[in-house]
Amino acid sequence: MSFTKKPGGKALDLLQHLPRITLGNLRPEPGTRKPEKRRGRGQHGGNRSGRGHKGERQRGNRPRLGFEGGQTPFYLAIPKYGYNEGHSRRPQYQPLTLRRLQYLIDLGRLDPTQPIDLTQMVNGRGVTIQPLKRDYGVQLVEEGAGVFAAKVNIEVQMASEAAIAAIERNGGIVTTGFYDPRSLAILCKPVPFFISGQPIPKRMFPGEDMVRYYTDAANRGYLADPGKIQKARVALAQKYGYVLPDISKDELFHMLSMRKDPRQIFFGLLPGWVVNMPEKKILKPTDEKLLQYYST
Amino acid sequence: MAAYMLCRRTAMFCWAIRGLSSIKSYIPVSAQCGLLQQIAHYNPKPLKLNLKNPYIPDKDSENTPEWQKTAKYDRKLFGRYGFSSGVNPAELWPSHAQLEEMIAEEREWNPPLEVLLKNVEAKEMEANAKRLGREKLIAGNMAKMPKMVADWRREKREAKLKLKEEKARRDRLLAEARERFGYALDPRSPKFLEMVSDIEKEEKKKKKLLKRRLKEESFSPPAASPASSSS
Repeated sequence: MSFTKKPGGKALDLLQHLPRITLGNLRPEPGTRKPEKRRGRGQHGGNRSGRGHKGERQRGNRPRLGFEGGQTPFYLAIPKYGYNEGHSRRPQYQPLTLRRLQYLIDLGRLDPTQPIDLTQMVNGRGVTIQPLKRDYGVQLVEEGAGVFAAKVNIEVQMASEAAIAAIERNGGIVTTGFYDPRSLAILCKPVPFFISGQPIPKRMFPGEDMVRYYTDAANRGYLADPGKIQKARVALAQKYGYVLPDISKDELFHMLSMRKDPRQIFFGLLPGWVVNMPEKKILKPTDEKLLQYYST
Repeated sequence: MAAYMLCRRTAMFCWAIRGLSSIKSYIPVSAQCGLLQQIAHYNPKPLKLNLKNPYIPDKDSENTPEWQKTAKYDRKLFGRYGFSSGVNPAELWPSHAQLEEMIAEEREWNPPLEVLLKNVEAKEMEANAKRLGREKLIAGNMAKMPKMVADWRREKREAKLKLKEEKARRDRLLAEARERFGYALDPRSPKFLEMVSDIEKEEKKKKKLLKRRLKEESFSPPAASPASSSS
């Protein structure tokens, strides 16, 4: 009897002759499933099935959480104070740490050779923004400022001073820009919006409560005067004790100097344009009134 | 198989070298360190648009639901199928009437930036003025404070003295009553009260007398002087 040893052994042989694995012949690994317990069977019939004797415990109709049998419960006995008043209506800014930003760049999930805005961050799965849950964007947090070493042109919705300093020390640019909820939803998920066939709307200005933040050069607001921003950059460099790199001689100067118009949502796309995904075309309005509306 | 893998590896290496040389210009720091910046470009999931067999509803048919005959749905159709949807692209933008509505709405709810800034400034000024007014009031009241405290202390002291005097007078009266009647009297008893009123009457009389005498003393010299002047 000639016996030739195959490299795969019996298992390979078996595999070759077995039917294809489908959902129909898959079953759990033996020993992974426990049989369901059937209470009150056999000699335990007529007993209480481990639920004790009578009452709410046995019948499973326990009163609601915090109910103390009719006496004034604790949560109503103590006075409430407005620390959390309006919490369900407060705008939220998801934190983005510099450590995570560096991590995303290191993994190649964000491309630092292009301006980074919310679309890039959401597409790289760097942040999750839910405009319907009162998210107004991301805030840049200084955690990981020590390890941050990338040169980026990033646009966020809020940024702490130390985070701004860490980015500008590496020759980068930070801009804080406001997006109203509709623009934010479009910015985060452009494709579903483009498929709806609507023209890109204008980005709205911030409300009275936030307009001061975005006109402040110290926050690198998008409505601030560029000259003042340059001064603020120098002042911040002096405060944090670093030499501000001269970006005008940088190879990436063109990229670093890219900014959005206050009314613009996407880089390179103006309000009023229609992006047609299936034909890969951009349609621009020609009507005077429309142009007038979308340009102001 | 192995040869294939080797081939692929060398190909990747070549690509890496080429990539290094091309990327070097962009990222000098990482290139100097010998690191290669790889960019995992966003790999979107394919757009599942049924372009070959598009569903374009018949607008004249009764079986077509109403919501498929709207302008919004037309826009959607154009967004999905492009020009093959048969939708006039001019209808993607709002009509003049709609545009006017939009403009009116924007004028009402989204004022221009200058107005916004002016409003904010006015509000800030108002708050500032309010704060300053309050601070001024507090400063004025604080300046008055030492005098008020001194007054309050004086009043307190006077009240205390008055109380002391009252007590002393009552003790004196009680002592007098004991002297007069020979035993300690209850200050509420009518006997005592009568005695007190008597004493008060006497004191009043004495005072009157004293006043009259004083008057006479003070009047007599002027009375004398006019007499002398007239004579």
